[in-house]
Amino acid sequence: MTEKLQRSTIEPKNPHLHASRRSNLPHVPGIRVGDYIFLSGMTPVDPQTGERSLGPIAEQVRTTLSNMRHMLESAGSSLDRVVRVHVVLADISHMADMERVYREFFPVDPPARTVWSMQLRFGNGCEIECVALAG
Amino acid sequence: MVAARKIIPPPGAEPAAVGSPPPASLAVKGGDFLFVSGLTAVDLKTGARLHGTTASETRQILANLKQLLEAAGSSLDRVVKVNVLLHSMLEAPNMNDVYAQFFPDPPPARTVCGARLPDGAKVIIECTALA
Repeated sequence: MTEKLQRSTIEPKNPHLHASRRSNLPHVPGIRVGDYIFLSGMTPVDPQTGERSLGPIAEQVRTTLSNMRHMLESAGSSLDRVVRVHVVLADISHMADMERVYREFFPVDPPARTVWSMQLRFGNGCEIECVALAG
Repeated sequence: MVAARKIIPPPGAEPAAVGSPPPASLAVKGGDFLFVSGLTAVDLKTGARLHGTTASETRQILANLKQLLEAAGSSLDRVVKVNVLLHSMLEAPNMNDVYAQFFPDPPPARTVCGARLPDGAKVIIECTALA
């Protein structure tokens, strides 16, 4: 294994979900390297318009995880290839609401996960990032 | 060939209690790495939360982590990166005193943050290790 690993950028098929480009932020949606895909922290964005979608926390989590599924599938991976998730909530008291929706997306053999709360930008109620296996 | 993904079952756990399945796996092996969930201080056998001081929760978590890694065929000296979340950064020295007893020299890379933690936890520790 002397071959040098290369990294490539992951882009969503739906351009509305390219949040960093729309907001001119200095990061890409994700990077693929070797066996792994590293996604940036994702926040609730309406896939129809690309605008922030800040409803009740359950809806924000559903929108974010649905967009994460799109991002992974755009890269040829899927939610069931996710190995690690970080869920950051603006308010830790939203834990139960987040959990209820989260289970819908990872019903069996869920990934490793850590949940905490800290300040988020733009009024977002959640930000979710993951590491997945490619392919 | 795509990398294999394997769920690591909790070591020494009793058969799953009746009820909904846990929302996260304790650890997942993917490719060359083992991804371990953010652990809180629990009794590994029963899953019961063990609320204590920052020092006692750190000790419980790292003892569980050691057992979990070894059950998965890895170990503390194969850990590459640790993230420690504390309910208060004022408690960092109390965590460090215990932490230093568990990892070999040189210890893994690490980040420590203060954050609001779920379920009244004082400490959460997650890591990535070589499988």
